[in-house]
Amino acid sequence: MKRSHIISLLLVAALIGSFIATFTSTSRSVNFAEATQFAGEECKVSGTLNTAFPVEYNPEVDPTKTVFHMFDATGASKRVVLNQPKPTGLENSESIDLYGSVVGEEFHATEMLMKCPSKYNENNHVLMGEDLQTEG
Amino acid sequence: MEYLGEWTGIASFGQGLIALAFGASFVSLVAFLCGWQTVGRKAFYVHATSTFATIALIFVLFGAHRYEFEYIWKHLNNEMPMRFIFSAFWGGQEGGFLLWMFWHNVLGLVLLQTDSKWHNTVLATVAAIELFLTSMLLGVYFGNFQLGLDPFLLLRDAPSNAGLPWTARADYLTAFPMFQDGQGLNPLLQNYWMTIHPPTLFLGFASTSIPFAYALAGLADRTDRSWMKPALRWSIFGIGILGTGILMGGAWAYEALSFGGFWAWDPVENSSLVPWLTLVAGAHLLLINRNRKKPMALFSTYYFLLISFLLVLYSTFLTKSGILGDTSVHSFVDSGILPQLLVYVLSFVALAHFMLLQSATWKSVFGAILALLLIVAMKGYVVEAIGVFLGMLVVTSVKAYRTDFERTEEEESIWSREFWMFVGSLLFLVSAAHITWQTSLPVLNRFLEPLSPLLAQWGESWDSQFLLDLSKHNLAPGTDLDQTYHLVQVPLAVLIMAVMGLAQWLKYKSTNIKTVAKNLFYATALSAIGTGTLIWAYPFEWWELPRVALLFTALFAVFSNADYILRMARGKWKQWGSPVAHVGFGLVIFGAVLSTSQKDIISQNQIGDISTLNEELNNREDLLIMEGDTLSMGPYFVSYRDRYQEGIHVKFRMDYFEKAPHTYQPGDVVFFDGMVFEAKETHEASPQFSEDLEDHWMFIPFPNERQAKTAQLWKAGVPGERLFTLEPRIQLNEQMGNAPEPDTKHWLHRDLYTHIKWGRVSPPETDEEGWMGGRTHTMQVGDSMLVGHTLLTVDSLRAVLDDEKPLRGLLQKDLAIAACISLKNKERDTPHQPMYIVRDSTVIPDLYEADDYGIKMRIETFDPQAETLEMTVWEHESVRRDFVVMQASIFPLINVLWLGCILMAIGTSMAVWSRWKTDTKPRIHA
Repeated sequence: MKRSHIISLLLVAALIGSFIATFTSTSRSVNFAEATQFAGEECKVSGTLNTAFPVEYNPEVDPTKTVFHMFDATGASKRVVLNQPKPTGLENSESIDLYGSVVGEEFHATEMLMKCPSKYNENNHVLMGEDLQTEG
Repeated sequence: MEYLGEWTGIASFGQGLIALAFGASFVSLVAFLCGWQTVGRKAFYVHATSTFATIALIFVLFGAHRYEFEYIWKHLNNEMPMRFIFSAFWGGQEGGFLLWMFWHNVLGLVLLQTDSKWHNTVLATVAAIELFLTSMLLGVYFGNFQLGLDPFLLLRDAPSNAGLPWTARADYLTAFPMFQDGQGLNPLLQNYWMTIHPPTLFLGFASTSIPFAYALAGLADRTDRSWMKPALRWSIFGIGILGTGILMGGAWAYEALSFGGFWAWDPVENSSLVPWLTLVAGAHLLLINRNRKKPMALFSTYYFLLISFLLVLYSTFLTKSGILGDTSVHSFVDSGILPQLLVYVLSFVALAHFMLLQSATWKSVFGAILALLLIVAMKGYVVEAIGVFLGMLVVTSVKAYRTDFERTEEEESIWSREFWMFVGSLLFLVSAAHITWQTSLPVLNRFLEPLSPLLAQWGESWDSQFLLDLSKHNLAPGTDLDQTYHLVQVPLAVLIMAVMGLAQWLKYKSTNIKTVAKNLFYATALSAIGTGTLIWAYPFEWWELPRVALLFTALFAVFSNADYILRMARGKWKQWGSPVAHVGFGLVIFGAVLSTSQKDIISQNQIGDISTLNEELNNREDLLIMEGDTLSMGPYFVSYRDRYQEGIHVKFRMDYFEKAPHTYQPGDVVFFDGMVFEAKETHEASPQFSEDLEDHWMFIPFPNERQAKTAQLWKAGVPGERLFTLEPRIQLNEQMGNAPEPDTKHWLHRDLYTHIKWGRVSPPETDEEGWMGGRTHTMQVGDSMLVGHTLLTVDSLRAVLDDEKPLRGLLQKDLAIAACISLKNKERDTPHQPMYIVRDSTVIPDLYEADDYGIKMRIETFDPQAETLEMTVWEHESVRRDFVVMQASIFPLINVLWLGCILMAIGTSMAVWSRWKTDTKPRIHA
C-alpha cells in the first residue's frame, strides 16, 4: 500500500495548503478606523444601521446606488455607499456586514449581508406589545 | 384555573406520546444491546407507533387551526392554503426533527424485517439515534439546560410569554383577536419545492445512519465482513436520495429565491453536501472490500461510513444551533438547544472512535479521559474540554489506523479498478474536508476565543498580522467564491471526473493498460471535440483554464461511462446502475460549471445617462425600465407592461420582444459615440455600428438644424414580434421583509432568468392633493429631464421687463428672472415661465403649476455667473410612471444539470435494485 500512502500524503499536503490559503482569502474584519488605515483594501466591517440618517435610494437617478450611515462595533458612524439596489428590509436590519473599502470619507461597499430580526423574536415582540397588555 | 376553549388535554396527550416514544426507544436500545430481540422489537414498534401518532396529532392540530399551540401559531395562519400544510409542518425545528424521526422509523421498521446476525447490533444503534432524536422534542428544563423543544407547547406556557397578564386570563383565546389567527408560514417556504425538498433530504440524512450502524456492528465483530453487503446497498440508496434532496434544494433556490443561481456555497447547502461526499467515498471502498479475502483500506472504509453520519449530525448542529450566526444569509435562530445538540454530536463522535479502538486497554483509557473531560466541561471549561477531546480523537484515529485493522502489505496494481476507486475516495474526502473547514470557521472562532489574549500577545511580539487577525476570532469565509471554494474544489473535481471516466474501464486486480487505452479512445476524442466546441462558442478567459479542464474531464466521464453502457453492458441491465449514475454525476458537474461560469447577465447597462452614472460605483448589472418603455436588452427588447397583485405576490409583467433588424433609409441621422452620421442608402443595420460605418454612413462634422433635430441614437434592432411574457414578482412578507422571486423562461438549451431588484409594491406617498415629494435639480439652459411622460427643457432665461411686471403681480422694484420652459408630451408646448423673484434682497418663492401635465415647479436659486438654476419639480400621481430595476441572465445548458440529476437518481436506484437482487439470491435458494 505504499503507493496509496504517497497519494494520501500528497492530498493531505494539498489540504493543509488550502486551509492556510483560507486565512489569506478570508476578508479582514475591521472597524471603520482600521478600514481607513487600509484605505483602498478590501475588508469587512460589521455594524448596525445609523437611523439618525435616512437611507437614500433614488433608482431614477441611479438604480444601483444606496446610501446610508452605519455604526461599526466601536460605535463610530460612517457614510456608506452601497453599489446595489436597496436591499429589502435594510431599515429593519439587526446587523449589517459590509464588504468593500474606504474611499475618501466614505465606505464603498460592493457586497452586503444583513441579519434581519428573526420571526421568533418578532413574535415575542408582538405578543408583549403594549396594546395587548392594556387590553388585558 | 380552567382555560376556556383550549385543547389542554391534547397538549398533555401529545407530550405523553413523546415521553412514551422516548421511553420505548430507551427500552429498545437496552434490549437490543442485551440481545433480547423480542423485547427490543416490541419496544421499537411502540416507539415507532407513538412517533407516527405524534406526527398525525400535529397534522390534526394544523388542520383544526389550534392557535393555542405555539408551534401552530408560529407556522400557520387562516389565509394559508392547506396545500402548504406539509411545508408548515416542517417549517420549524420541531417539525424538522419529527420528519427526520419519521424516516428513521420507516427505515428502522424495514430493518426489523431483515434477519441476520447483525440485526441486534444494527437496531441498537438505530434505537440509540432515535433516543437522541426523541429527546429533542421533550421540552424539559434542568436549570438552564434545555432538553428539547416541545411541539405541543401551549402559547401561554412559552418561556417568552411567562408572567404576561393575558396568560392569567381563562378566556384569553376568545378575548384577544391575536389568538384567532397565527403568524403564518414564512411565505418563502410557501412553495411546492418546500413540500418535496425537505422530506427527500431528511430521508437522505436518515439513510446515512444505516451504513453507520452496520459499520459499528462490523467494528464489534471484526472477524466477519458480511455486514458490508447490506451496508453497501443502503449507502447507494443514501447517495441517490441525499443527492436528489440536495439538488432539489438547488432547484428551489433557482426557482424561488433571487440570488441568481442554484448553488451559493451557503453553509446550509455545504453542510448537506459534505456527508454526501463522504458517503460516496465510503460506498466505493465498500465495493472494493465486500468480496475481497484480504481487505484493502479497511480503516478508511469504516471511517468514511462513520463520518458520513457524524457529519449529518454536525450539519444539524451547525444549522439548528444558531452558531453560524451572521455568516449565512439564512436567518438562524438560537432556540436554546445548542448545548443539547452539541452533546448529541459529541456522544456519537465519541462512540464511533471508541469502537474504532480494538484493545480493551485503549478503550478503557479513552473512556476514562472522556469521563474526566465531562467533569471539566461541567465545571464550565466547555471549549477547552472539547479542544482536548478533538485532540484525543486524532490520537485514537492514528492508533486505530496503525494497529487495529487487518492490512495487506502487497501493493495494488496501478491499473486495477480498486486502486483508482481508492484514489477517487481520497479526493472526495479532501473535497469534503475543505468545504467543512470553510463552513466551520464560525466554530473555529469559538475555539480561538479563549486563546485570544495569547494570540494577540504573540502577534504583537512577532509583529504578525496573521496572528493578530486570528486573535480577533471573527474569521469568516471570503465572499469571493472563486477564491474561497473554486480554487480548491475545481482542481479536485477535475481529478475526480478523470478517475470516474478511467476506473469504469479498469478491471479488479489488474488490467491490460493497452486495452484500456484503446477503449478510452472514443471518450477522449469526443470530449476533446466537445471542449473545443465550448471554447469556440463561449468567451472563456485564460484564468478559467481549470474550469475548462473540468468541463473536459466531466465530458470524458460522461462519454466514457456512456460508451461503457453501449459496448460492455449492452443488454446486461444489472451492470447499468453505476455507469448511469456516473453519467448523471458527470452531467451535473458539467451543467453546473458551464451554466454558472457562462451565465450571461444581459441586463447590463450598455448605454446610460453618463452624467448620473458613477463609473466606478455602478455595478452595471441592473436595468431601470419605466412602465410602457421598451428597451434593448441582449438579444431581446424588453418592455415593462404593468404590475398587479395576486394574493401575497405583486407581479410585474415584462414582455420580451424579438429583435428585428433596423432598416435605415437614406437621409436618416443618428448619433453614435457623440458623433453624428447620415445614412447614404437604404440598409439593414448590422449588430455592430462599426461594421456598417464605412459602407452606409457619412460622418457629419457640423450638423444642420434638420440633422440636429432628427438625430437619434443608433440602434441595431427594433422590437419585432412579442415572444413571451415573464412575471417576476415581489412577495409581500411582513415577517421577513418583502422578497423578490424570479420568473424563468425555459428552453431546452438555456434559461432566461428575470428578477426584480427594486420595484414599488404600493402607490408612492403623496400629499392630500396627490403631489409626490419634490426633487431638486441643478439645470442650465438647454438641459432636459423626464418628468412622468413629459420632457421638460429649459429653453432660455430672460429678465422680466418692467411693463409686464404688473401683469404678473410683481412690484416695480422687484428683480425677476423668468425661465422659459417647454414641456413636451406629444406636442411641444411653450412657454411656461416660472420666475425667480427677488424683492428687497429677499427671495419670493413662486410656485408654477402646469396642471395639464401634472407638474409643478419652483426655482430655488439662480446663479447669474454660472447661469445655472436650482429647480424643484413635483410630479402628480396621475402622471407618475411606474418603473422597476430588473436583472436578467441567461443560463446556458442548465437543463444538462437537471438531466444529470435525474440520471443519477435512476442509476443509483438501478444499482440498489440489482445489488438487492444478487445479495439476497443465495438466501432464497438456501
